[in-house]
Amino acid sequence: MLNNEQIRERMVKGEPTASDLAEPSGDLVIDVKGLAKVYGEHRALDGITFSVKKGEIFGFLGPNGAGKTTTIKVLTTITPPTQGEAKVLGYDVTREAAAIRKRIGLVQQQPSHEIFMTVKQNLRTYGLLWDMKKDEIERRIASLSELFGLKDVLGMKPPELSIGQRRRLQVAREFMHDMDLLFLDEPTTGLDPQVRRALLDHLKEGAKNGLTIFFTTHIMEEAEFLCDRIAIIHRGRIIACDSVTNLRAKSGGGTLIEVFVKDIDTATVDFVRSMPGVKRVAPPDQADEPLRVSVDTPSTMLPSLLDALAKRGCSVTGVNVKEASLEEAFLRMVAE
Amino acid sequence: MNALLRLLVRDIRGSIGMSPYLVLSQLVSPLVYIFVAGFMYGGIVKGMEIGGVTVSYVLFLAPGIVVSQFMLGASYAGSMVWFDKRMGMLEQILAGPFSRAQYVTSKLLSVMMQGVANALLVLLIALPVLVGASLSASGLPLVLGSLILGSLFFGSLILAISTRIKTDQSLNMVFNTVFAPLMFLSSVFYPLDVAPPVLRIIALCNPLTYSVDMIRAGLLGITTSYLPYEIVVLSTESTCMLLVAVHTFRSVKV
Repeated sequence: MLNNEQIRERMVKGEPTASDLAEPSGDLVIDVKGLAKVYGEHRALDGITFSVKKGEIFGFLGPNGAGKTTTIKVLTTITPPTQGEAKVLGYDVTREAAAIRKRIGLVQQQPSHEIFMTVKQNLRTYGLLWDMKKDEIERRIASLSELFGLKDVLGMKPPELSIGQRRRLQVAREFMHDMDLLFLDEPTTGLDPQVRRALLDHLKEGAKNGLTIFFTTHIMEEAEFLCDRIAIIHRGRIIACDSVTNLRAKSGGGTLIEVFVKDIDTATVDFVRSMPGVKRVAPPDQADEPLRVSVDTPSTMLPSLLDALAKRGCSVTGVNVKEASLEEAFLRMVAE
Repeated sequence: MNALLRLLVRDIRGSIGMSPYLVLSQLVSPLVYIFVAGFMYGGIVKGMEIGGVTVSYVLFLAPGIVVSQFMLGASYAGSMVWFDKRMGMLEQILAGPFSRAQYVTSKLLSVMMQGVANALLVLLIALPVLVGASLSASGLPLVLGSLILGSLFFGSLILAISTRIKTDQSLNMVFNTVFAPLMFLSSVFYPLDVAPPVLRIIALCNPLTYSVDMIRAGLLGITTSYLPYEIVVLSTESTCMLLVAVHTFRSVKV
């Protein structure tokens, strides 16, 4: 296992800090070497290397814009790589794309549904597209609509559904057909906790039956619950790739304080960063995310932090305190 | 089931889902043109000459209106491509067991099917009242050839455009600014002999002109010496536009 100093050295050099090092054994379902993707001036992927073995649930963590979706687009052959190699299920993504696409599934981050068809027709048509038999289509519609809470809305069209219902439809649809490898790009966005848990359980069950899962998220708890191994991607580079246990150990200890603040500005974030006793600060990426502050002594730092925010006129709507976790490891690696 | 067929079935289901009354709504405009404008203007315009034969204005107009139906069919099918992009289904399908070539081909086939079906429906409704027109065995290949090649051109045109637009408003704007002028800059409403030189040249570049002339020949049994050339020109233009559409779609970023 690498220590923190070794990790920093590798990060400076742009080398993965993986335990490739904990290189997976067994059949490799995804094998990526030096993969790069450039859009004009923007280098979305900057020479990433990782692999995923059969039956593994592999997590891909990173902040917005890190390169998670681009990685999925390359591996699902939607877009070609600019440099490097990638093999999925033993097939090259550039030369043997058709063979890959017959055996994978994809749940995109963006909404995706047949707008002019009902929920049932969406599912049925998707089964048709995958050349499934009629009785199997109907059987899966029955079971998936039960699992994902879509029974009551089978006759409705997507514009009539809530955002959560549309998301459930999108996820349920992908389980209509059989596959060897499933890509999920932030699949639980918009789902309520009950359905989210049902999906995660369903994925775990699928993995037990041999399905390999490539899962991106920025919700740490999901990654910790679900994934066997996790890669952390930041600005197009993989900065860590290891088991959940090892990544937690690399977090270097400390306590994470999450403060939900309305309309926090950059000056306030910088002020918090400069407070004595504050190890690291990660500002929120979106409006409903907290300010994350890593400290060693939460008993003294929490009151100081809240007091400082109040004096700066910030409205605090909630606070969480967590011990060293995957989230801490993630924040430490991306916040610098 | 064959991959192309699966995609076609999907398109048909989508079209029906868009509105079950779509087919009916698409019939109103052409029938108004034929039965109202055709007969009204027929009272003012005393006969139109085609290949040395004089026919009534409504008989002159009707084939052109029938042919223009595939433009409308193409526009609806083209909007399906736009919706696929917007609703994330294009990416979803391209990550599935289909190639870009299959997707493009299925869309073109959908366009052609919809266009030809619309046109034939209008023709069947209008034919009984168009004295002098008939769908004979000898004329049928010209009629179908006109509809198929015309659908292929306009379907390819719409496909190429749909892959590039980014908003709903752009889509509507394109349909209104491209298709409406094309209808008037052709031989749908008037013979090109009476057109000013500049407009005549533009109309001679318009594949709709050749489609209209072909279908007139097929329905009225009146051919001109230009007909073989018109068939070649229309075939060439349709093929070129098809290649443009395929090339455009290959490079679309998803």
